[in-house]
Amino acid sequence: MTAQRQASSASQIPHLSPAELSYLYTSLSLPGTPIRPDGRSPTQFRPLSAETDILPGTNGSARVGFADGTQAIVGVKAEVERTVLGVQALSQAEQQEYAEGNEGADGGAGAKQGSTSGQGSWVQMCIEIPGFRDDDALPVFLSEMMREPLVESVSGGEKDGDGDEGGMVGGLKGRLVINRRWHWRLYIDVLLLSQPLSYPLPLLSLTTHLALLATKLPKLKSKGEEDPFFDDDWNAAEYLYPRVRTTRASIPGSIHKVRPPVTLLVISVAENIVFDPSREEIAVADTVLAISITYDTGSNCLKLLSIRTVDPPSRLTQPSVPNSENVATLGSTAAAEASAIINPSTGEEEVSGVWRPRRGGVKRATIARMVKMVLEKGGVGEEVLDGLEGVEVG
Amino acid sequence: MANSLPSLAIPGQRLGPAGDFSAGPGTHVHHSHIYASIAGPVFVDPTQQNATEKSIISVSRTQRIKSASTSAFVPSTLPTTALKSKPKYNTLPAVDSVVLARVTRVQKRQAAVSILVVLDEPSSTLGLNPSQPASDNDNIDSILSSAANPENHSSSDELRFQALIRKEDVRAVEKDRVVLDEMFRVGDIVRGTVISLGDQSFYYITTARNDLGVVMARSEAGNMMFPVSWKEMRDPVTGAAEQRKVARPF
Amino acid sequence: MTDRRRINGPSGGTRPPVFASSIKSTTTATERPQRQRQPNELRKIFLKTGLIPSASGSSYLEFEHSASLSAARALPKSLIPPSSSLKLACTVHGPKPLPRSATFSPNLVLTTHVKYAPFAARKRKGHIRDASERDLGVHLETALRGVIVAERWPKSGLDITITILEAEDDRWWGDAPDSHDAAWGMMNVLAGCITAASAAIADARIDCLDLVAGGVAAVVVDESVDGGEPSTPRLMLDTDPAEHRSLLSACVVAYMPARDEITELWLKGDNSKASVGTDDKSLSYETLIDGAVDAARGAHSVLAEAVRESAERLAGLETGYST
Repeated sequence: MTAQRQASSASQIPHLSPAELSYLYTSLSLPGTPIRPDGRSPTQFRPLSAETDILPGTNGSARVGFADGTQAIVGVKAEVERTVLGVQALSQAEQQEYAEGNEGADGGAGAKQGSTSGQGSWVQMCIEIPGFRDDDALPVFLSEMMREPLVESVSGGEKDGDGDEGGMVGGLKGRLVINRRWHWRLYIDVLLLSQPLSYPLPLLSLTTHLALLATKLPKLKSKGEEDPFFDDDWNAAEYLYPRVRTTRASIPGSIHKVRPPVTLLVISVAENIVFDPSREEIAVADTVLAISITYDTGSNCLKLLSIRTVDPPSRLTQPSVPNSENVATLGSTAAAEASAIINPSTGEEEVSGVWRPRRGGVKRATIARMVKMVLEKGGVGEEVLDGLEGVEVG
Repeated sequence: MANSLPSLAIPGQRLGPAGDFSAGPGTHVHHSHIYASIAGPVFVDPTQQNATEKSIISVSRTQRIKSASTSAFVPSTLPTTALKSKPKYNTLPAVDSVVLARVTRVQKRQAAVSILVVLDEPSSTLGLNPSQPASDNDNIDSILSSAANPENHSSSDELRFQALIRKEDVRAVEKDRVVLDEMFRVGDIVRGTVISLGDQSFYYITTARNDLGVVMARSEAGNMMFPVSWKEMRDPVTGAAEQRKVARPF
Repeated sequence: MTDRRRINGPSGGTRPPVFASSIKSTTTATERPQRQRQPNELRKIFLKTGLIPSASGSSYLEFEHSASLSAARALPKSLIPPSSSLKLACTVHGPKPLPRSATFSPNLVLTTHVKYAPFAARKRKGHIRDASERDLGVHLETALRGVIVAERWPKSGLDITITILEAEDDRWWGDAPDSHDAAWGMMNVLAGCITAASAAIADARIDCLDLVAGGVAAVVVDESVDGGEPSTPRLMLDTDPAEHRSLLSACVVAYMPARDEITELWLKGDNSKASVGTDDKSLSYETLIDGAVDAARGAHSVLAEAVRESAERLAGLETGYST
């Protein structure tokens, strides 16, 4: 129980010896060209297989499997629900009626606003990870981390998306509004099929992204403020994230104007920045950031939606004992003491080959470099989103 | 040099270059400078006799009495009455630290104890001087009263560090003839030193020294006993003798 | 899951009643509170350590009332307070032995527990921690674990418990829960939790690298004074969400000034449209982080004073006896 709680925010502490940790850290921190245990380049992702629309009972679903055997399934279900105006909104509406009655003027703005903007609570996300209880910190933290950018990307299509085909007014929340009295409620259920072998965030985020892309909502036949009824032809259903015919030749079929966000896991080791870390790599990371991005509707470049730090498990590892302090090798160590150097990124005094648990935080410059690598044109973020676009949807 | 040091430090405050000082308790080194890591008064141990040693900066958790020349911040002589109102603070058992512990279970191969007090100076000076439990963070009265009814404190034991005295660590001689029932009884207060941090749940303690062993015990009749020899204590009321591994009382 | 050990209040939450009189007078009581501070001016913080004698360390933190709240207190026009200000208490227990079932740990094992009092927010909270409280706990743990020198406390655990007595609003109570409905108040709460926990840990004399302080900055859009078009987005430090029409994005950091390092960063929101401080829109997040760091520096000065006070209390106790 406590072992699990320790592992709460980061993945489990791998059972690596201090010597192994030190070796990993040294090879990952080689200036310029880190050597990763599986031979990937710093920005290379693990190979994965993906498919969508695998569950007929859902509005949209996806499955992503990593080569190491971990798989995630996401099912998206939508329900029509009566919009319960909070007492707050109700009282405001009353206020406006009151005001209109009294002054006869400026009432309309608030009412119109109520019809176009949705509520973040209409999107529910639930993550199930084997070996963790529903209310353990890891599933809770992950679902908040992934739900946040989803409902946050509101201003995406707001201003310039109006009237534009394929735009999404008010972001995902706005898309869920049917009329003033009814709305869609979206349930996103994420299932990890095996115990996570590494921090499951990238896997879950990619799967959720694909499932949302594949999600369809029945076509609305009613108009305006009527009680909604829908076309029962599934072929007529509309995508939750609307698509437009592409003009680009590289990607066949249709593309999405607005896309769900994707959350990337980025670590820094000494001066190096590494994407999609495996469990062993995350164990020696100085910093772990989860960065959520999506395409900006207007300018077709990437925008940042959220950053969260993840507690690096390296803080909980066991230190190794330098030869100079080791009772067993005492006397043969005169040379070892001279080799103490200062690690430029952590400022700690270190003997090479001796593992010290990380402590302290991250410099602002490092954060800026990590975000830049994600956001820049032709950077990792674009590569990932374009790669996901290539997955056959529907 | 000591004049440039602040008398009181807060965590993260820079105290001095690591080239001139070495870091003592309550400090850490970062970018070749010594920083305070707890809030408290700063002490500098003067340079040792041989010139290669650097003086040690430390930040104290308490205002414990240091050797006379340490700091001008606190007068070096404190009336002993001040000890009573020591502010409580945290000390973990470490290897070589002297502890007072209460016996909770006696088995064939080992006795389980729960650590009540850690005397925080692991050096021998304090350990040999039991009349000055300088870091007593527990009310001595409560130890005594609860020792009388060992059934009564199971909940507070959860909050204390548990330790084991293995059969071979009880005394230095005739280790193989030790019968633990004749060494400790449940409820005895034992002074011992930590020999290992042990496993996930227990520390390991030894009493294999003359000054270590049972310091307080009650007889079967329930009276406080006095030591008569290194392996016997006696009840002053009934006169009955009981066997214990007794610590040298002075 | 219902809590059967306690007598619970109504499940739906409670709200202060709205009276017709306050609705009618829309011009006075139902006016959005206005920020009276400069964009880079922080609210005053009250922070005191060592208030809970049974804990090894403790602290209490309170934000200054906003000007509108003090005005409403002095001259009540409505039963509904216009805004709220953060109040929280933090206790540190330990270092204490790990539970028997725990595995060996060479480091101090930190557990954080953040709980809103049922009456802390406008909507009543249950006794069982909900997702947002757990989320806060994880954030706080991340912020603190980087600061504590954990290897000095092997085999022991440290419990940090924070009770939030009064939380920050996520928005002005009169606003409909629309696009402005994200949990912005939670970020202010987190910043307060970090600062308070840091003081309590220092009060418990647990080894830390530095005093870590929490700070919040946000990019806000306000209605301009004459009620016309919304103004251009601006960067504000230590924002009270109730005072603004809309927050585009916000950021909270846990910052160690002595090392110039961040142990916890939580940034959310979409400010790609707003160019704040810099012409390059893609860099506006940096301005936001810098703003939050500035706010944290401000909180740190209060924190340092409170911890110094705690240290002096200990020293003063002794010198008092020796004279």
